[in-house]
Amino acid sequence: MNGAEQKYTLFIHGMHCKSCVFMTESELKDHPRVSDAKSSLETRSVEIYGRFEGMSLDEIANELSTSLHKHGYSLSTEQEKKAADWSEFMIAIPVALGFAVLFVALQKLGIVNLVNTSQVTYGTSFVIGMIASLSTCLAVVGGLVLSMSATFAKEGDRTRPQLYFHVARLISFFVLGGVIGLVGSAFQIGGTGTFVLGMIIGLVMLVLGLNLLEVFHFTKRLQPAMPKFLADKALRISRLNHALTPTLVGAATFFLPCGFTQSMQIYTLSTGNFITGGLTMLSFAIGTLPVLALVSFSSFSIKDNAKKGIFFKSAGLIVILFAIFNIINSLVAAGWIKPIFNF
Amino acid sequence: MKTFLSIILALMLIGGLVWLTSDPKDSGTGSTTTQNNVSVVNGRQIVRITAKGGYWPRQTVAKANLPTTIKVTTNGSFDCSVALTIPALKHRSFLPATGETDIDLPEQKPGSIVQGLCAMGMYSFVISFN
Repeated sequence: MNGAEQKYTLFIHGMHCKSCVFMTESELKDHPRVSDAKSSLETRSVEIYGRFEGMSLDEIANELSTSLHKHGYSLSTEQEKKAADWSEFMIAIPVALGFAVLFVALQKLGIVNLVNTSQVTYGTSFVIGMIASLSTCLAVVGGLVLSMSATFAKEGDRTRPQLYFHVARLISFFVLGGVIGLVGSAFQIGGTGTFVLGMIIGLVMLVLGLNLLEVFHFTKRLQPAMPKFLADKALRISRLNHALTPTLVGAATFFLPCGFTQSMQIYTLSTGNFITGGLTMLSFAIGTLPVLALVSFSSFSIKDNAKKGIFFKSAGLIVILFAIFNIINSLVAAGWIKPIFNF
Repeated sequence: MKTFLSIILALMLIGGLVWLTSDPKDSGTGSTTTQNNVSVVNGRQIVRITAKGGYWPRQTVAKANLPTTIKVTTNGSFDCSVALTIPALKHRSFLPATGETDIDLPEQKPGSIVQGLCAMGMYSFVISFN
């Protein structure tokens, strides 16, 4: 009478216990247009099978909410916003600041001066990679890796996106390194390009970092990595997104503004050979791998749910600090403001 | 108690950050200003700067109204300092990992300041002309 039966996914507000699952399911099944309903406490959502032709998802949510109100639930097209747990910041703020102090202290120690060679072998480019991964480049590449991996981990995908990222990064360094070795000219980005790129990276990290804090909900709409309207439409697209985004970001790290990466590329130019150039950049990328892998798989440290909030908030704060660092540095490099950090 | 500890720890860490990132000339550690790196050869002023993990010396006082060349020396430098920018001159270059690079400056007015930065902005040097 109302067209074909379809599946609709809605979010339940007020869902807090195991019995809520049964309660909401049975109440929804009583509705004349609903044939079946499956609630989930974990995602606080419900899959409804029924005939609602011609109605928008919002209208369906309103229609079905009326029968749930008496139990204290309501349906919505948006996930319930959990109140921020401010006490988690008691640990997250010192953790993030401690990380920042460690990062600055590493720069102060002059790790970049550990390179003492003018001959670049695969071995030295590996060592240069390791040093690069602890240098200020960590603020750019590491910040990006942390913001991305924590965002995916929050969606429950801890391993695969990270693997795609690292594999794509290694392949891209080998292939693009080989190409510049062969062609003999670098993909150099000009002053304006560097500035724009630096600002974009800074702003993307800022938004991702704020999202990880789960405090300001307006930033959810600005989520750059995974547009929600796409992810909602089909799980298939969401899966693709979990593979495509990290792969592209991983491959694109070749172009990120990092002095070490760029000076390795300049060296690679002089090799004049695809294999030598490719292997030089590959050994550099392998050198950066331990630290970057540590950063991207840090979400494995979450053992229980209680610590989850603290992890994401610490990660969010670190990402925000890196983002501010990158934005300030971009402004300084453009000559707009005086240098603030002096390493 | 936990809140109190957290605030104390946070304040200490912020203090440490400010101390670590502050300009060394303020903290009195030293002679970042040297004159030895400036010389005049055949009417041309040469300012020598070493680029490795930053730029040294960080501050240079040079003479105004002289054609000037900044000679940047690199020696096994692979960090950001090889990506040199001088915004006032619209200069951008990648220095070789080891070598010398000359950057010519037009005559500077007394009181003018030329600043060089690495492309990511965390290393810098200043040459003031008087």
